[in-house]
Amino acid sequence: MKRRAKILISTITFMTMIATCACGLVDNQPSSNQIRVTALTTTESQIVANIIVQLIEHETPYRASIVNNLGSAPMQHQALYRHDADIQAVAYDGGELTANLHLTPIKNAKRANQTVRSEAKKRWDQTYLPTYGFANNYAFMVKKSAQKKYNLYKISDLKQWQNKFSFGVASEWINAPGVGYRHFKQAYHMAFTKIEPMNIGLVYSALKSGKVNVILGYSTDGRIDSYRLKLLKDNKHFFPPYNCGMLINNYLLRNHPDLKPLLMRLVGNISIHDIRRMNFEVDDRLLEPSTVAHQFLVKHNFFRGKNNG
Amino acid sequence: MANLTLWQQFIYYYQHNGNYILSQFNRTFLMSVYGVLFAAIIGIPLGIVIAGNTHLGSFVLEFANFIQTIPSLALLSIVMIGMGLGVKTVVFTVTLYSLLPIIKNTYTGMCSVDKNIIDSGKGMGMTKLQLLYLVRLPLSISVIVAGLKNALVIAIGITSIGSFVGAGGLGDIIIRGTNATSGNAIILAGAFPTALMAVLVDLLLNLVQNWVQPKGLKK
Repeated sequence: MKRRAKILISTITFMTMIATCACGLVDNQPSSNQIRVTALTTTESQIVANIIVQLIEHETPYRASIVNNLGSAPMQHQALYRHDADIQAVAYDGGELTANLHLTPIKNAKRANQTVRSEAKKRWDQTYLPTYGFANNYAFMVKKSAQKKYNLYKISDLKQWQNKFSFGVASEWINAPGVGYRHFKQAYHMAFTKIEPMNIGLVYSALKSGKVNVILGYSTDGRIDSYRLKLLKDNKHFFPPYNCGMLINNYLLRNHPDLKPLLMRLVGNISIHDIRRMNFEVDDRLLEPSTVAHQFLVKHNFFRGKNNG
Repeated sequence: MANLTLWQQFIYYYQHNGNYILSQFNRTFLMSVYGVLFAAIIGIPLGIVIAGNTHLGSFVLEFANFIQTIPSLALLSIVMIGMGLGVKTVVFTVTLYSLLPIIKNTYTGMCSVDKNIIDSGKGMGMTKLQLLYLVRLPLSISVIVAGLKNALVIAIGITSIGSFVGAGGLGDIIIRGTNATSGNAIILAGAFPTALMAVLVDLLLNLVQNWVQPKGLKK
């Protein structure tokens, strides 16, 4: 009995010791060298967050982790604002402008990007890096064969087909504030007779299988390249730009001056085709965002540090 | 991928993302264990104290019961307001949920020790501390371990939900499966190790429960 009690006491003390040690191991304190990157539930944001984390871990002595599955852009903003996280992996200028800065949408891409940069610096003490090189806009798409046959290159070209084609659109677009169908009708002076609202995930396959002639989808979806869909030019600049960039809390850059040049390596280096391919591999090929991110970094020679391996 | 069956996709996913799943498995496990460990550090001494005091006992148990009635997602969100995103929120929530099974089992175990045995201990001249370590604890230890077991199995479930506050773990895989185009295999790939972990923990602690049972009480 006596021995057993001793074992018990020693186990409890031992466990307490482990618990206190491991607290530092598991926990991410802001004071430590742990850099925390936020990601949304979207595939794209998780891929980009993984790219940032792996780049930092490989090229610097700092440790990095992902704060994953945040529900919305405002939640990401709150995480950074409260210093629960240091880097926001994906910040779309159009989205930041309306959702977090509460300004009216700006249709000029350059001016929108500049406004977000200066406002983020002024209001939140954050740096908004230039775009990675892709934008996630709403876009009208047709099949490659249809583009040649009907001579469709810009959205205005759809006008003569507005009563004949059927249009598959994301259901949330119909009533989207400012950029929805109601405003679209006024801007382009066309109204579709056969319009079929559906889940955004379904529009691409609906177009591929010929159930609809034209769809409205997101421009970075992986299925665009793999189904060989063609985007129509938004010739009246109706859809506001959603250029994607990185948003960083300035205290991080002040404390670690070596981070900025490292993170600047990503600027302009993730093309729309890269992100589409990676989105496709994750959404459809059962690869994890971390796996895809690693492949991307290796393929494009982002790992240059001493510990090359 | 569409030409593969669900099981083939499942196996394919494991072959290509093995390391990732292993690290998330580890993460989920650690978060659950630390939550329960903290709860044990608080709960076991508390259970021993309240076993000698019925009024305090009913109050503490009532309070632990109250925590248990809050839905896990709601409690996670409440804790998140105070502690922010990440691992510490989940560990703290798990600790709160683990308190009831641990306190209750410790309390029950202590109370169910035969009065006559304690009396004979006293008759032999044991001090209070000796009574606790030599008589009461060994006789109730298997009930306490059963409480730990309960707590750990609940904890694994709550940790999976912790993905919503950015803590990572196997819940991440499940959530990603619900977002992907053909995510059924991914959902399964996340849910299967979670269930497996709960079963393994249960089996392991069954062994521990058997091992700590005093020889005289073994059947």
